[in-house]
Order: sequence, then structure tokens, then C-alpha cells
Amino acid sequence: MVSVRSVTLTPSSLTATDLPWIIEHREDRCTLCGNCTAICPKGAIRLSHMRQRLPRLDVFGTQRGSEYRTFTGIRQETDPAKLCIGCGMCAMVCPNEAITPVAGTNENRTLFFENRKGEPMKRGGRRNATGPTLLDRIVFHRISMLTDPALDAGRHEFTATTTLGRVLSPEEFLKRTMNGGWIPPTREIFPFIIGSMSFGALSPNMWLGLLQGVAYCNEVLGLPVVMCTGEGGCPPWVLRSPYLKYIILQIASGYFGWDEIIRAIPEMQCLPAAIEIKYGQGAKPGDGGLLMWHKVSKLIARLRGVPEGVDLPSPPVHQTLYSIEESVMKMVQTMSMAFHHQVPVYPKISASTSAKAVLNNLVRNPYAAGLVIDGIDGGTGAAYNISMDATGHPVASCVRDCYLELAKQGMQNEIPLFAAGGIGKNGNVAQNGMAMVMLGASGVHLGKYMMQAAAGCLGNEKNRCNVCNLGICPKGITSQNPKLYRRLDPDKVAERVAEVYMSINTEVKKIMAPLGRSQSLPIGMSDAIGIADKAAAERLRISYIC
Amino acid sequence: MTTTVIKGLNEQGGRLSSMEFEKLVRQAATTSNNLVLEAYGQHNIGIRLQHPDGLKLTVSGPSGQRLGCMGMPGTTIVCQGSTSDDVGYLNIGAEITVLGDATNGACNAMANGKVFIGGSIGARGLTMTKWNPEYSRPELWVLGSVGDSFAEFNCGGIAVVCGVNPKNPENVLGYRPCVGMVGGTIYFRGKIDHSYPKTNARLNAVGDEQWQWLSDNIGGFLARVGRSDLLPSLTVREEWQVLMPITPQERALMFAGPMPMAEFRNTQWNRSFGGDPLRDIAPGLDRSPIGFIVSGELRRKKPYWANCESAAPCTFYCPVHIPTVDRLRLIREGRIDEAYELLLRYTPLPASVCGAVCPNLCMENCSRQGVDEAIDVQVLGRAVAGSKPPAVAPPLGKKVAIIGGGPAGMNAAWQLALAGIEAHIFEQDDKLGGKLAQVIPWERLSQAIWDEEMKRFLATPGIFVNLGVSMSRDKVTELANNFDFVIVAVGTHTPRRLQFPGSERVIPALDFLKGAKSANPPAVGRRVVVIGAGNVGCDVACEAYRLGADTVTLVDIQKPLAFGKEKAAAERLGATFKWPVVTGEVTDEGLVTKDGEVIPADTVIISIGDVPALSFLPDSVQTVTVGGAAWIATDRAHLTSDKRILAVGDVERPGLATNALGAGKTAAEYIIASCQGREWKPFDKPLIPQKALTITHYVPVAKGTTEGDQASRCLSCASCRDCHLCETICPTGAISRRELTAGSAGDGVYLTIGYEYVSDDDKCIACGFCADTCPCGIWTMNAF
Repeated sequence: MVSVRSVTLTPSSLTATDLPWIIEHREDRCTLCGNCTAICPKGAIRLSHMRQRLPRLDVFGTQRGSEYRTFTGIRQETDPAKLCIGCGMCAMVCPNEAITPVAGTNENRTLFFENRKGEPMKRGGRRNATGPTLLDRIVFHRISMLTDPALDAGRHEFTATTTLGRVLSPEEFLKRTMNGGWIPPTREIFPFIIGSMSFGALSPNMWLGLLQGVAYCNEVLGLPVVMCTGEGGCPPWVLRSPYLKYIILQIASGYFGWDEIIRAIPEMQCLPAAIEIKYGQGAKPGDGGLLMWHKVSKLIARLRGVPEGVDLPSPPVHQTLYSIEESVMKMVQTMSMAFHHQVPVYPKISASTSAKAVLNNLVRNPYAAGLVIDGIDGGTGAAYNISMDATGHPVASCVRDCYLELAKQGMQNEIPLFAAGGIGKNGNVAQNGMAMVMLGASGVHLGKYMMQAAAGCLGNEKNRCNVCNLGICPKGITSQNPKLYRRLDPDKVAERVAEVYMSINTEVKKIMAPLGRSQSLPIGMSDAIGIADKAAAERLRISYIC
Repeated sequence: MTTTVIKGLNEQGGRLSSMEFEKLVRQAATTSNNLVLEAYGQHNIGIRLQHPDGLKLTVSGPSGQRLGCMGMPGTTIVCQGSTSDDVGYLNIGAEITVLGDATNGACNAMANGKVFIGGSIGARGLTMTKWNPEYSRPELWVLGSVGDSFAEFNCGGIAVVCGVNPKNPENVLGYRPCVGMVGGTIYFRGKIDHSYPKTNARLNAVGDEQWQWLSDNIGGFLARVGRSDLLPSLTVREEWQVLMPITPQERALMFAGPMPMAEFRNTQWNRSFGGDPLRDIAPGLDRSPIGFIVSGELRRKKPYWANCESAAPCTFYCPVHIPTVDRLRLIREGRIDEAYELLLRYTPLPASVCGAVCPNLCMENCSRQGVDEAIDVQVLGRAVAGSKPPAVAPPLGKKVAIIGGGPAGMNAAWQLALAGIEAHIFEQDDKLGGKLAQVIPWERLSQAIWDEEMKRFLATPGIFVNLGVSMSRDKVTELANNFDFVIVAVGTHTPRRLQFPGSERVIPALDFLKGAKSANPPAVGRRVVVIGAGNVGCDVACEAYRLGADTVTLVDIQKPLAFGKEKAAAERLGATFKWPVVTGEVTDEGLVTKDGEVIPADTVIISIGDVPALSFLPDSVQTVTVGGAAWIATDRAHLTSDKRILAVGDVERPGLATNALGAGKTAAEYIIASCQGREWKPFDKPLIPQKALTITHYVPVAKGTTEGDQASRCLSCASCRDCHLCETICPTGAISRRELTAGSAGDGVYLTIGYEYVSDDDKCIACGFCADTCPCGIWTMNAF
């Protein structure tokens, strides 16, 4: 190979083997069709023309000098701005299996240079913690073998819904019923909720595809699935549609989209499923929304009630709230009153060692309809790496502690806990969710799992793709560029949502049937689960099995 | 045939156990094939019982559970009353008639045979019923209705539910029948609650063959249960329906949900919103699905043929911005005269400057260095020495006074004259050329070439030269009044000096070099010291050797700045460099440094630069003081604060001869544009990035000595070389070459090319191969 003398090296120059993803291209298979370079979301690959020197090394020949051969190949850029993200779109569009990214086995040296211009690296996606999660390792070991009524998941009817909303104690319920007091609103919902992903973080086709799937689950399949809007508002026509009842509206510190929601209240055909007040996010506790200008399209700007092309950070905290008590009073009561106390209102917090303090305040507040605890394995559209990688608390022990605290107070049936963050991150969604339920959650929120299952999100825990923050999602899931999001057919997303829920529903039954449970979700049924990890078993107060 | 009666009670009136009763029945069946069983709740009556001539069991008492279980072919069982659970359990061929009701689990796991019920049955009838295709299908006939969970996992059994006096008139099939049903047929008559799973069963009208079968067989059933009277009322085809299993093959073709998503979207989703849910906030937004490899407006980038929109490094770095790439293209095309003329339109002194004194910034930055060596521009410059001047444009009736006839003033005059503007040069010296003529040694600039280029310059119409003219304020004011513009190009002709004891003994380099080049060169001593070791110092050293010096020492207070040809020439003659040296004084002995060292010298020459002499400048022209000297302040067009006076060359800031030529050309272009009433545009092409070029198409070759060699080696940076590689590499055939009929936009007549390459948006998929292949870096991929 002749060295090309114009190559310049700087202290931070990298070679392909320093990169997290390496493009393997087989010149002998390549048809030079251009599909790979056309599809690459990062511009990470290019057609490269190379030249080989063939010196005339014939001992007996009299002519000296060299001949040259030029050849082509697809090569990758080493410029940090154009790094291959391993999404594999090139391999997907290659007609000849000539190209694919493979994970680099050398150290990932880009980590040392990702802070150019002094800005630490941000990404979208996930925590990049591989391997089985604690939830993956939990097994359902209490199996009724002729001891309880044997149930058949395929034959028996199951009621696997959960209650979202404040449940009064029997005494209080009777008292209020007889005296005409306020009975807090509740919803019977499917315990696997599509968690808060905003219209903005998600593309229009993704968001509406999810909602269409949710509507299908409810209206055709009879599964009362609900989804949360995330903080980005809700399209006005959706607010005025009969599908609003399947939607949990989120309000967060940026208050995006709430002008349109308030405007729409008088014209709503039905009430929303609930209102979620976001105080924290498991993927990036202590940090807020980071919707960058390149995702604030005309549509998103209109939806959020802001100008086009501006950065839309939500502050990490609600700017005028200074205490738990104040938060609960101000936000929960206001939201509750806005809907005539007919809609459950609950907060969502990052999993934290301080979660119990929040919970105890909610217990004392008559309007609080539940608590969502979002753990460290949660995903996000955009976060600083440091927040995503190293900040947060796993969800299992946090929810477990809170549940046991409620049980101690005898309140475990009155205020539901929901767990979010990493449920199904390795694909075991029903197992993870039901493990969480038996640890004490009334239900779980799914984010990344739905993106992967319903729309083919390419992200994984090995840092594949994970560019949701850049608006260049190759599947069109998290992009606001119509050229990208039109790749996503909302019908197909909806179809997959329906398939996923049918399947989760079956798996939930397969888990419940051996327990001999068919008519109520086994919330807190921790005698039915075990783990082959003594420390975890002790910490969670479940049985150690081996 | 005898009839044997077996009683279920013993003599004491006690109930026989099922085990005892079964023994009696089995024994009796060996001798009789017509048994009357006065049962008393015994289970498993008729289990696995058969007679070679057929066996008939009549059960007259209360029957226990699993009547006729494991019933065998040829065995007929008639229960005169009702029966308990699981009648016909695991039946493999018996025909069992129950005149009354049967409770739960009728026909559970039955594989063959028939069960006829004269009343109704309880829950979970016909579950796990099998059909082994080696035998006929099992059948369950029910006159009344069936309970919940009917026909679960039915795998081929036929049920006929007549709906006569049903237990629940609203629902003859019970709740959720047919769960997991994979085969068989459920005929029924009457209302149902439609709770059967839609992924397992499908509700149909009775087909012709099915109706044929039903009408053929229902009479027999009614006769068995003694209700032949019902035949007319049960043979009304419209009253019957069937539930048929959905085959796995059908299910695989179905969307797993019971309603296709497109149907849901059309019938429910879109209707609920009354259209697209985003239509109010994004009217007309097209969200319809597209493919992944797209063309046209759906691409994220598109190729653009940016021919000549960037500058090649040679052009970019040359202060005169000579388009060497175009010159070489003309040579490649055999248009030698045009190539020469092109060059002469940029400079009157190509042979003297490009070909001789210039350090050739163009070559220093030449892209060809990535392949082998830079293009040899000196060959090109020298080739033009004897060429005729280009044609001069018709006079514009304007005239410009140029004070100073050095390279800056000369190129200004040349450009103006070629454009038809009278250029009047006022030169203080007795010859043109400024320092090129006055101080550059003939070793570095051949007199023959110089004279030839001067001859061409002076012969050019529109150039008027006035030699030996001294300038004063009044004179400048007069020029300003009489001419459209005045260009100040006086250079720097006041040597910088240092003050130290004996400094009066030191000869300024400018004076020395001028003298050396004159007809009467000054004498120099044997030992010469030059203070200031830059390139002018090197010229001084060379001239000193030529005029008889034995040793020349160049001293400097810092690392010498000399470089290139000048330094090499001085060193070749034996000059030595000494630094850091701070001059203390100059005596008879030579130069005494601040440290007291004596560097012996007969002649000491100081060469630390020259500064402008600007006493003639009118007040309207502002100056800026840098390094203790005043220089004329100018803008990009070389305009001074007086909008009719321009300044070019060293008088603005010291530079190379080529900087002076460039300044003269730019100032002239500004004046030409103003005279023609055009807006002046500076050279503003960006440098083409090296990354844009694909230099691997070229292989190393020898540098060569001719213009032709250079022309063939040129990479044609930023200028299409018409190689068709883009057209060849394009995988979709989107790129084509198109002949242009009229002259296209370009820099002038020389740059006009008669073609362009275009990309068809409808074919292009934006792979970028054109941009990655183009040797010249013309194609760019632009986001849109």
C-alpha cells in the first residue's frame, strides 16, 4: 500500500481498531451498489479508492521500479463526529452480505476523546450494562402441584389487571360512601404500561403507532393497556379523541404542551387514564429533559407550544418547589382539581435511597394516586453519559423497600407502586414484570422494550446505535426528520404492540397459573419467588434457592 | 340371546362397590351380549367391555361417573335416565345413549364412537376429544344445550347441539366454547354469547355437505333419544350454524390479532379522529411509509457538481491567484497559446517571478506531493518569457497614475492597460522593476529574461512610463486631480539602521545591492560581516563574494530567517551564519559584539529591512505605525482612507515580489470594476480540502522537465478533468455528462468549458460514490 502523504496525524487521531465498532467489508462480495453508504446514519462509511504498489522484484529481470494496482472498498471514518455506531443498517441493506459492523475487541479509545470542545459526551438509549439483570435471575418457584386449584393459562380466564389510583381502606370507603364523601378515582389497567416517552423524543409515526396499538389492545383485544405521553404534550386531536382514556398525561418541570391540554379539557370526550407528575427519571436522576434543537421540528414546536429549532431543556427540578410537602400539595392537588378529582394523579421519581421519604408523604396526602419509581436501568432519549452510566439506584430493592414499608403500615393495598427502568431489557419482559409485581409493584412501565419490540429499535446494552439524542435514528423511531420517520409504518408498530401485549398477557397467565392465581395479580406475593443469590435474597427478603 | 340382569345392590340392599360391580358385569359379558344393569351409582360402567357379536348394555338405575369410559367398538350403552360426569371418557368406539341429562365432562378425551344425550350436558363437554383418521370421527349429539367451556382443545370431534329446551335459552353453547379447538365441527341451533375465541374458531353458516350430513344423521339421533317427533322442527337449515376451527395455516396468515390492523385503522382509528390526528397542528404533513433506500426528495443528501467553486491549493496560496490548474488543462488540450495568454493575464513577469525569484507558494502546497512531487511551476513560468502580450481591451477613457514602477505598480499598470485604462507610471529611479531590477542579483534573475519581459511590458499599449520623477505632496495632489485614481506603489526604499558606536561605518544592504547591480559596483573588503541574516542578507553575501570578498559572515540576534534558494546560494559560496550576536560597536577591526568578541571585518553591511518613505503622502491618506515605521493602511481592495488613492506592495507591508504582483492586480481589478460600474468582488474561493481529492487514482511517476510533463501530472484540484469516473462509478446510472451549448458561467473565457456533469435526482440514492471517487473533489454531498 502506498502511503498517502497528505494523511495528517494529531494527538487524538484514531485507527479503526480503536473504535467501538469496526466495519468489516468484504471486497470480494461487494457489488458497489451504494446502499450501505446511502443508508448509514452517521456518514461513517465511504467508498475508498486504494492503491497498492507492486515492485518488480524479479531477480533476473532487468527492469526495476513498481507497478500499481488500484482497488475499492468500503472504509470507515475515524473522525469522532462520524464514528460507526454499530447500528448495522449497512448490513441490512447490503444485497450481498458484504458488510457488517462488528464490536471492537480492542479498548474503546474514543472514550478518551469524546469531550471535544469541553462538552462531555451525551447519548440516547440505555445504560450499557450487559448481562442478566437481578430481575432476570428471579424464578417463580411456588408451583401448585395438586395443592391449589390447578390452573391452565390457555383455558382458564384470568383477570390480570391492576389498580391505578388510591384505594380507600374498607372503613374509610364505607364511611365516605354513606356520608357522600369523595371516592378517589381508580382505573383497572393492564399492569404493563407503556412508559413515558414524549412526542418529541419519539417521532410522530412512532408515538401515534404506539397509541394506535394501545387503542387496538383496548378496543379489539380487550386488554386495558395504557401509555404515558412523557413530557411533550399530546396532539390536540388526540386530546379530543375517545382514545384519551388510554393515555396518562405527563407533566414535568418544562410544562411542555400543557397549554394545549388545558385548552382541550372542556372539549374532552373522556378523561385521561391518569396524570403523571415527573420529578425524576431513572436513567438520569437529577437531570432533566435534553431535547436538542435538531429534534425541535415545526411539528414538535407546535405541539410543545414553543418556537422551532430551539433547545428544549427541562430543568432537573420543578423550579418553584422546595419540599416534598409543597410538591405534593401544589402539583398533585392542582392536577387532581383540574379534572374534578376524577383522574388519578401520581408522581414519578427516580429510584433513590430517599424514595421512602417521598412515599410516606404521599401516604399522608389523600390525592396521591400512586408512585412510580424509575430505576437506573431506565432509558432516555438524551442524557449525559455520566448520568446514564453512573447515577441512579436499581429499581428492585427500592420498590421492595417501599412495599415493605407500606406493608408495615398496613397500607400496601391502598397506594400502588409502579416500577420502571430496565423491565425487559434483555427481552424477558413478562418475567421481569411479574418478578417486580411479586416484589411489590402493582405494575411496570416499559420504554426501551417497546421501542425494540414494536419498532425494531437497534439499540442494545453494548452501545449499539444509541443515538436517539441526535435525531438520526435509522429506524425513524426517535427522529423528527420525515425522511427518517417515514421509514416507520405506524400500522406495523401498532400491530407489534398488539402482538407484544397478546404475548405478555399469555406469559403473565403462564406465570400466574402455576401459582394457582387467576383473579388478582400476585402483588407482593414474595413467597412465590426465589433467587440463587444469597445476598440478593436477603436484601429483598425473598427465598434463596439453589 | 339371553338378557342378563346385574343388580347394583346386594341382597342386603347394600351398594356394590364399583370394583365388585365391574367384575360382575365383565363376567356376565362373557356369556351374554345383552346386559341390563340396575346400577346404583357405580362408576366406570362399561369400561373396556366388548363382545364378538356386539354388546348391548342398558343402564336402568342411577349411573355413576364415567359411564361408557374406554367404550369399545360394537358396544352399545343406553342409560335410561341421566348420568353423571365424564360420560364416554376415553371412549374409543362405543355408542352411548343417555336419555336424560349428563353432567360435566361428557366425551372427555373421546377418540371414537358416539354419545347421544336426550337432555343437556354440563360444563366441559367434548374437551380433548380426538379424531384418529384411521377411524371414524367421534360424535356427541345433545338435544338440549351444553355448559360452559365446551369443546376445549377439541381435536376432530363432531358435536351437534340441538338447542331443544336449553338450560339457558340465551346461550346454548355456554361461556367460552372451543378454547384451543383445533379440529372437528360444532353444529348448533339457538343463541350463543359469541364468547368463543376468535383465534380458535370461526362461526359459519352450515355448508351444503355439512347440511347433507346433518340431515342424514339427525333422524337416527332423534330416534335413539325417542324424540323423532322433533324431526321437522330440527331440519330447518337456517336455524343451524357451525363453529369451525381455524387451521394453523390460516392462523399463520392472519395477523395474530382478531382484526387486521389496516381494518382497525380504517374503521375505528381514523374515524375517531375524523382524519389524521395531526392535521390541525401539521396540515398536509405526509407521514406515509417510505423505503430505506430512496431517491429524489426523500434522500437526506444530494450530490452537487461544484466545478471550480473551490480553489486548488496552487491558486489559493498564490498571492496573484494564478489558476495553474486551468493553465495545465489548456496545455493538456494542446491549447498552448491560450495557456500562455492565461498566465500573462495574471502577471507581466511570469518568467522573472514564477520562473525565477518566487519561492513558489503554489508548489509548496501542491496536492501532487501526496503522490510524488509537486508540479514544477518554474518550468511553466519560464516558458512564457518570450510570449507576446495579450490583446488589450478598447480604451475606457479612464486613466490612473501609479507612483512607483516596482512589481506592484507594474502589475497594476499591466492589468489596467489590458482592460483599456491608461496606466501612467511615475518612477523615481531611472528604470522600472523596483527592487527586482535594483537589488536582486542577476544570478537569481537572469538579465536576458528580465529584459525580455520588460520589453513586452513596455510595448504594451496603454502603459506610459515616466522615469526619474520625484514625488511631493503637491505633485500627488496634482496627480489626484488629473487622474481617476492614484496608486501608491513606492515600496520601501529607506533602510532601517541601528544606532551603535561606529554605525556610520555600516553600509545599508539596499544601497549595497543597488550599487552592486549598477554599472559601477562598490568595492568590498576581504572580510565582510552582514548584520541581519535574512534572505536579503544572503543576497548581500552573494554579491559581496562576487565583488571580491573572501569571507562573509552573517550575524543575527536570533536564529536566521533565511530560507530557500537565497540561503542555499549564500552557503554554496561559503557564507557562515553566526547567532545570537548583538552588535556592540563597529570599529576598524570589525564588528565587536556586546560580549566583547571581535568579528573581523573590512566591510560591515546592515540588512535588517527597509521602510517606506512617505513624506509625499497627502493628509487624506492614513498610515499605521508598525515597528517604528509608518505604512499605508489599506482595505482588501487596497483602498486607502482616501477613496481615490490606493496603495499596493511593500508600502502596505513587506512581502514577496509575488505579494506585490498580487496586490497590484487586486487594486487594478477594483479600479477596473469601478470604471466599468461593476461591483468589485475579491478572490473568495475557499481552498479545496485535501480530503475531497481522491489522489489514489494517480501513480508515482518521474517529475519530468517539460510543460507537458507537468500538465499530465496535475491533479486538477477543484476543476473537473472530464474523466467520467463519476459516471462510471455511479451504481444507479444517475450521473451523465451533458454538452453545454452556450458558454457557462466561469472566471473568463479561458475557464469556459463546454460540458457539465449532472445527477438525475430520480435515480440517485445519495450513496456519495461520486464524491468519494472524483479525483478532483468536484462532487460534494449536500444535506437538504
